[in-house]
Amino acid sequence: MNSALWIAVFASAFGTLLIRVVPFLWMQRRLNSAAGLNAMPQWLTVLGPLMIAAVLGVSIVPVNPHAVSWVATFLGLCVTLAVWWRLRSLGWPVAAGVLTFGTVQVGVLLGS
Amino acid sequence: MNSPVDHQIPDHHSPVRSALQGVREAIPLLGGYVPVALSFGLVATQAGFTTWEAAAISALIYAGASQFLFVGMIAAGSPLWLVVILTLLINIRHVVYGPNLAALLPRSRHWPWLMHGLTDQVFALALTRLPQLPDVKRFSWFLGASLFAWAAWVVGTIVGAMAGEAVTARWPLLGEVMPFALPALFLTMVAPRFTDKRWALAMLVTIMAALAFTLYGLSNVAIPLAAALGALCFYSITFTHRSRRL
Repeated sequence: MNSALWIAVFASAFGTLLIRVVPFLWMQRRLNSAAGLNAMPQWLTVLGPLMIAAVLGVSIVPVNPHAVSWVATFLGLCVTLAVWWRLRSLGWPVAAGVLTFGTVQVGVLLGS
Repeated sequence: MNSPVDHQIPDHHSPVRSALQGVREAIPLLGGYVPVALSFGLVATQAGFTTWEAAAISALIYAGASQFLFVGMIAAGSPLWLVVILTLLINIRHVVYGPNLAALLPRSRHWPWLMHGLTDQVFALALTRLPQLPDVKRFSWFLGASLFAWAAWVVGTIVGAMAGEAVTARWPLLGEVMPFALPALFLTMVAPRFTDKRWALAMLVTIMAALAFTLYGLSNVAIPLAAALGALCFYSITFTHRSRRL
């Protein structure tokens, strides 16, 4: 990479870091003011969980979307939800979901 | 892996143990990180970058979609100022992540560099887990989880750049099966909100909108747009509780 490209990398990196850190520090300063937790806008507390839901929606789309991968996705999500319902934890439901998804994908591949 | 409620303050708090807990709980993120990092390493070398240049881009920018855009635009000969602006525009959604975590994390002089690790996935994990941890464990937990995810991203890029073609040829399903860890993980994070009708509807609208945007090739704007639609739904639709007479 020439020096102009390195400058572009550093500018993108620094800009991305500012996008992540400045709002965080600004909010921490507001929270430490006299207003305390009331300084947190309500829309922000609503937007946080919805961002996670949006990331879920984006990640549901399989790497190679076709009938088998959609069926595997549906079954994997059902198993994940069922195990979560029983255990209320993060690790085991994910492991069970990936196992189900992988089993369907590999099973169909071996069967064809 | 973890208990839903972990509010008890341990008698002998160990920062190392809390950091390791963060590492352990970030392991499911690898399912999504590793295949994408491998792909990025491969794409970057095919675009003419060396292994160490690809690793430097991953270490410094550390934002999946914008890295692919960066490399693609450079390879296409786009002006550098436009490359930088579009890279930052894709990452602008991160603006709301920090403020949501501000009340959950203690003050520290290390945040200016630690916030580098605040990706979509780390944010989602932190927003779910931090409220369940005692205050004293939160800094170390975030340190462990975010550094582990960052290191996995950089190492994945290096492996992808050095042996991406060989790895994907040897284990073709790796890139298809492992990414399912991400939707599975996020499902366990949003599921607790479905106990409330208003939240459930807003969540459902957001998930379906994000899915539709992604299917129509708008994955870069899917997260902020879908979340905005969900928020609109949350504020515009309210449910009235009817009291049943016996």
